[in-house]
Amino acid sequence: MTYLFIILYAITLIYFALSERVKKFVWLLSIQGVILFGIVFFSLNEIEIFDFIFILAETILVKTIIVPWFINKVRKRNNLKRIHEPSVPVFYSIIVVVISLLISFLVSNHLQSNYIHTKYFTVSFASILFGIYFIIIHKNIFSHVVGYLIIENGIFLLSLAVGSEMPMMVNMAILLDVLMGVLVLGVFINRIGNTFESTRIEQLSNLKD
Amino acid sequence: MKVPELNNYLTLKISIMFLIFIILSFILSLSIYLVRNDLYTKIISSLFLLFLILIIGYAYLHLEETNSWYFKFDNPGVLLALVLGILSLATFYHSFLYLKRHKFLVKQEAGYYSTLIMLITAMMSAYFAENIAVLWISIETTTLFVSILIFHERTKEALEAAWKYLFVSSVGVALAFIGILFLSITASSSGITDLSLSHLLNVTQLMNPIWLKMAFLLTLTGFSAKMGIFPLYTVAVDAHTVAPPPISAFISTTLMNVGFLGIFRVFTVVAQTEVLQWAQNVLIIAGVISIFMSAIQLLRIKHYKRMFAFSSLEHMGLVALGLGIGGIGYYAVFLHLVFHSFAKAGLFYQIGQVHQYFKSYWIKDAAGYFNINPTGGLMLILGLITILAIPPSGLFISEFLIFKAMFVQGQYYIAVFVLILLTVIIYSFSKNILHLLYGEADKDVEQKLVKANPYETISQFILFGLVIYLGINPPLFFTNLINNAIAILN
Repeated sequence: MTYLFIILYAITLIYFALSERVKKFVWLLSIQGVILFGIVFFSLNEIEIFDFIFILAETILVKTIIVPWFINKVRKRNNLKRIHEPSVPVFYSIIVVVISLLISFLVSNHLQSNYIHTKYFTVSFASILFGIYFIIIHKNIFSHVVGYLIIENGIFLLSLAVGSEMPMMVNMAILLDVLMGVLVLGVFINRIGNTFESTRIEQLSNLKD
Repeated sequence: MKVPELNNYLTLKISIMFLIFIILSFILSLSIYLVRNDLYTKIISSLFLLFLILIIGYAYLHLEETNSWYFKFDNPGVLLALVLGILSLATFYHSFLYLKRHKFLVKQEAGYYSTLIMLITAMMSAYFAENIAVLWISIETTTLFVSILIFHERTKEALEAAWKYLFVSSVGVALAFIGILFLSITASSSGITDLSLSHLLNVTQLMNPIWLKMAFLLTLTGFSAKMGIFPLYTVAVDAHTVAPPPISAFISTTLMNVGFLGIFRVFTVVAQTEVLQWAQNVLIIAGVISIFMSAIQLLRIKHYKRMFAFSSLEHMGLVALGLGIGGIGYYAVFLHLVFHSFAKAGLFYQIGQVHQYFKSYWIKDAAGYFNINPTGGLMLILGLITILAIPPSGLFISEFLIFKAMFVQGQYYIAVFVLILLTVIIYSFSKNILHLLYGEADKDVEQKLVKANPYETISQFILFGLVIYLGINPPLFFTNLINNAIAILN
């Protein structure tokens, strides 16, 4: 069952490369949140109630509901509909996703470490690579935040792959930190939208030598 | 039966001192934001500074003791916290003057102080974090508060710089988190999963070199945005250029020290393994490129604050270089961090005063400062000598030690190359400062509107004086702190 969710997650990455509508990005992020919950839920052997509540809060509440809802609000306020500047054609983006998945597959096949769950590692590595690529090809700060969230989801999977048992307090603090970060980023997008009347990065080039 | 219980209670109470400080700071900061009264803000800010000094004093008295589960008052943390304490006092004083000069909304002023308090708390938490995950959380938190402070003046440039700083730092810090997870992978083979620094240091011999290399590279890249060195230095330069001067003074010193400490913590783990040589080479490359970029940019600089920002890039490059060279270089690194913090903060406070007269930070607009404000001009001369590491500046001693380490280790080519770059930097820097002091401005200055306040320069006099004094006659506690901080590396 875990494998099904992992494959679904990889498919969302391909959809990200395919989409041109900003609204779809928000939906895909929300879907990724549900998939992450599925991955965690089905990979747990035994569930303690506090762990379960935390995972539920982290994946469903934050990654599926709060963050997508908030950035959707930001999207509406800035009237973003379609990404007009595909500096790289969609076709190439799909090839890049497939290649990043392949590289991740080869790397994790090569690892053979007893301390890493390679099934999560593959898709997390691909997600981080694709997130960085996503930021590079888009010229709109809203899409940059979407790319950042894809990286964050990849890191979430990576921490599963590593299986590090951080104390609950530390986990909560990390979650809160990232959430606050996204909220502040959103507020700044709104500010930039108001001040520059656009969220394209060409506007942000006053500071130079 | 009652006595041991009471004892237990007392030890419990004492051991959560740092947690109490964090909670208190949060409450004070929130109350400032909610009450929004000028007098109240001043009283509460003074109260916070008192708490800050008390907690730093407490930390010094309890050196090497664990506190509040995830924190430890270790030597590098306490040393940098002392610097933070001194600069916090000066920053609050100059913030008060800065906000008085510019008429901001009451809400904005309250937001400024309350964010500054939270920033200081987050930095303190980063200095004392014993767990690498807690260190990461603290550093990420500083990003949020700094971006709010950069945006304080609400200009277009401020917005751009705040956005760039926030976004690039967030992505950078996310990369650093991947590095920390890699560290966790290699530590978990020895059964260590909690990322506590002392636990990690116990199992370094069993760590896999490839994971360690990747972990170091990623944390260095991620935290380079904070420390302001190559590769992600650009956002820090932009931030220091547009932030209010007291904030620029603060973030181009203490916050860079936070970034340094993030890299240093991972470096101490790496230093116990065979990867040390490789990591040092990486640091040397990062350091030399930073100094090179700084020298190139300073040649065509047009803005005073940007000039100071690029000078920070140079000094942090020297710090990375010192760490990369090792030996006596380790000692020089901490010495350099402390002296640079005092010297650079002093210069930024003074440039805030310069802005009063010329209403501009552009080099073409501001000149002939010595005639207008002799006390301020004198401070600039003193600052110039101090920051360029001209004797009797303490920075001369730290730079001398870094170069000595390079020659001892046989790194002649790097030493000569860096010396040439430093010559270029000294030329560009002094040319512009001398223009500010004695040159002729394009624009007429309305001098009558501004009354010089010589007392404003007291803080700078103390800071530059400290750099000279600590360089010539370092007190025993100061050298002990540095020696203990680097004991693990030797």
